[in-house]
Amino acid sequence: MGQHHQATRRDFLKTAGAALSLPYIITSTALGTQETPPASDRIVMAGIGIGNMGGGDLGAFMGRPDVQYVAVCDVRGKVRDAAKGKVDAHYQNSDCQAYNDFRELLARTDIDAVHVATPDHWHAIMVVEACRSGKDVYCQKPETRTLREGPLMIEAARRYARVVSGGSQRVLEDYRPIVDKCWGGELGTVKWINVNVGPLSQPCNLPAQECPPDMDWDLWLGPAPWAPYNSDRCDGNFGTGGGSWRSYIDYSGGGMTDWGAHHFGGATFAVDVREIQPEEIVYHDEEGQQFLEYRYPNGIVIYHNRPHTENLQVEGTPGETRPAKPVPSYKGSGGIYGDFIECVKTRERPFRDIELAVNTVALSHLGITAYTLKRSLKWDAAKQEFPGDQEANRFLDRARREPWQL
Amino acid sequence: MLDQAFDALKTYDWGTDRSLLNPIDDAVVTTRDDAAARQDLEDRLAAVLATDVSRDAKDFVCRQLMVIGTGRSVPALAAILTNPELSHMARYALERIPAAEAGQALREALPQTEGAVKIGIIGSLGVRGDADSVAQLAALLGDSDECVACAAAFALGDIRTKDAAKSLGDVSGATPKVQAAVSDAALSCAEALLADGNKVDALAVYKRLSAQDQPKHVRVAATRGVLACAGKSD
Repeated sequence: MGQHHQATRRDFLKTAGAALSLPYIITSTALGTQETPPASDRIVMAGIGIGNMGGGDLGAFMGRPDVQYVAVCDVRGKVRDAAKGKVDAHYQNSDCQAYNDFRELLARTDIDAVHVATPDHWHAIMVVEACRSGKDVYCQKPETRTLREGPLMIEAARRYARVVSGGSQRVLEDYRPIVDKCWGGELGTVKWINVNVGPLSQPCNLPAQECPPDMDWDLWLGPAPWAPYNSDRCDGNFGTGGGSWRSYIDYSGGGMTDWGAHHFGGATFAVDVREIQPEEIVYHDEEGQQFLEYRYPNGIVIYHNRPHTENLQVEGTPGETRPAKPVPSYKGSGGIYGDFIECVKTRERPFRDIELAVNTVALSHLGITAYTLKRSLKWDAAKQEFPGDQEANRFLDRARREPWQL
Repeated sequence: MLDQAFDALKTYDWGTDRSLLNPIDDAVVTTRDDAAARQDLEDRLAAVLATDVSRDAKDFVCRQLMVIGTGRSVPALAAILTNPELSHMARYALERIPAAEAGQALREALPQTEGAVKIGIIGSLGVRGDADSVAQLAALLGDSDECVACAAAFALGDIRTKDAAKSLGDVSGATPKVQAAVSDAALSCAEALLADGNKVDALAVYKRLSAQDQPKHVRVAATRGVLACAGKSD
């Protein structure tokens, strides 16, 4: 999809004079200052999907002295123009390029890394395409929309040796006290932890409205089923109870994936199962209250919405202590954004490496499948399938609207 | 209740009350252990596709058939597979129906379609891992529509059989865009071959992709593959 004759950032700078289509003026910003590295030593970045979360990500990356922000992409003209204005104001020039179609942005060979903060149904396609075009990626959570997407994103990252980070800052920053207790050994052998999160997303049958002239509705829908424009269908607010894309099945798993990416991320980190997936999801329906029990091969259990249990409540072994383990943390400086940039430079794996992110969000998708079918499931993590369960295996993925493939 | 829901489906459209269809959602789950009831439900849903209901109503039906569809509903889905407005939702069901008839319907629709609809069908064959479509897809690698050729390459990369790998090695005269898709798909096949212990065929792919005419990131990936074939990690 993109232009695949790759050049390094420095190769690009050597030949920049020939690249007349791309504005590049040697300014004091480009040459660097005492605090700011010269442009040739900065990570050249761009953003795809630059509304709510994407706008925050843009500001965080652009504010770093080791990043040169060069392009924005959004299917909403007003959002796109506002983001370009923000970047241009920051650099005091008009160099930032604005794109409607992410494929044009990914075709640029001068860009080292992109951040993706579109609605969730786009994440996998964009991450894989970015890897295929030789770019590192910071992708907002929840990183996947279906179970099949995760392994394909990991595969693309590993195949092309890309740094791909997920985007939940809360995993390390919000849940640190419980993580420290578990890793510090003071709870003894940890038996289970509980996550309270929801709801699941719902079907969307909103009526047609007139589409704003600055919006590319077909590209917003992308691989999702065709539906008429409605402002509530595509609103980027953080609600999951209706009136936002986070509420609807075709674009999101609802609170189960949206906040689930944070809470399950914190839980799997606390009980140290980030690198594996469960082998069984037990569906409970007790007196009309449904909840789940994720059983891991090492004996750890993660509950979802266990009755009378607090979010991230953990059960250890009273009277037992275990040796403390060093707690993994971010590299570099500047939180999860700094972690990503540091790894782009060093080629290490980031704190929320795509594989760990996929393992986390898989819990949300597995849970949605169990709640939808109202029954327990076996899960073969190696084969990424529900063994011998044709009914459940239908939920591994969903057909993408043409011409989109993954 | 179920009969009322099917009645509601006749006038269902975007903006109407979705909750009127809930009994059908419920029946999809509750008929799991009642083969006769499940078959009756499937037949009733499939029959709706041949009627003059709205696009949204057919969208709803295809979502249900994704969950419960069998070979019985394939003819009804195949009938709308070449319709540009309905093709995606037909695939929404067909792609996930394990019955062999679903794959056959997709293969048979391939020569009847072009452009985006054809690309969608190609993609679904890839996701299904439809090894019976390798020859058809290989022939499309030289399609005059560059997007069709790319889609065929990526689908062969999804299928990942030895035959798929071989077909990707026979491409010549491809545009840079198609060549990039072919290289990516060949890497997918090589990784699958290596995982299956077929180092000889995997190595052949990796060596071909290590050539200087390949983009740098492809050469890097291929070199890592060569090392993996030799039992060395990078």
